Amino acid sequence: MTRAKIAALALMVLGAAHSAAAQNAATVHPELVRVRYIVNDVSASVAFYTTRLGFKLDMQSGAYFAALSRGGVQLLISPAKGPGGASQPMPNGERPVPGGWNRIVVYTPDLQGEVDRLRKAGVRFRNDVVVGLGGNEILLDDPSGNVVELFQPTGAGYTK
Amino acid sequence: MSEPLETVNVRYMVKDVQEAVDWYVGNLGFTAQMNAAPAFASVGLGALRLLLSGRTSSAGRPMPDGREPEAGGWNRFQFIVEDIGAEVDRLRARGVTFRNEIVRGPGGAQILAEDPSGNVVELFQPAGR
Repeated sequence: MTRAKIAALALMVLGAAHSAAAQNAATVHPELVRVRYIVNDVSASVAFYTTRLGFKLDMQSGAYFAALSRGGVQLLISPAKGPGGASQPMPNGERPVPGGWNRIVVYTPDLQGEVDRLRKAGVRFRNDVVVGLGGNEILLDDPSGNVVELFQPTGAGYTK
Repeated sequence: MSEPLETVNVRYMVKDVQEAVDWYVGNLGFTAQMNAAPAFASVGLGALRLLLSGRTSSAGRPMPDGREPEAGGWNRFQFIVEDIGAEVDRLRARGVTFRNEIVRGPGGAQILAEDPSGNVVELFQPAGR
């Protein structure tokens, strides 16, 4: 490899790193609440959140990261394994995995209509609609088994 | 930023609602909002409303297949900081535990703090700050 080629390659690598940093920094909007979900497959997750739940894709770094937004929330998608910071194992060897019960709450003015629409599209739910004090809610699973809560407020104390 | 913030709700399952409220208010500067402990409480920070649900809340009910909601996991909200090293020092001095050490990537630096129920909060310092 010639010296010129090496220099060009070095520039490309530096440029890519710089561009990644710029893109990531650009996704940090102080007005957005940022939530990170660990997923098995970034592209499958992007497809799910954009086509099923109306998220907009802000940026994607191939199989390693994506940022999507809907209303005031930006959802950061990181794979369980990959080069990104959120994909690294803990010092004790434990690896981040999808799942659990903590979640974003997505408001809908028509919970039953939304559930019907999503069920027809093949979306899996963990439960049936639960009637609570402030509203009705249901839990759906994304393709990795992360949960999203659909919520329709019914009381005055629970405004959007 | 002149536009009003749109409130975003994130729900965490917690083992002890009041303990969780005290932790988020005392360590991360959240404002206490609704408090129906031991079932439920909410705390707010900027546009984030964090819903803290205990076992006796509607969100704590078991699933039809018997699975019970529980605290923990890896999904989390980000707590944006200007100086992650200083923030970690401050929180460690207050007795906050972390799952890992600071991880630095092209997008920024992050570390995972744990609330008393074992839920994770990501402290994140964007690159370039």
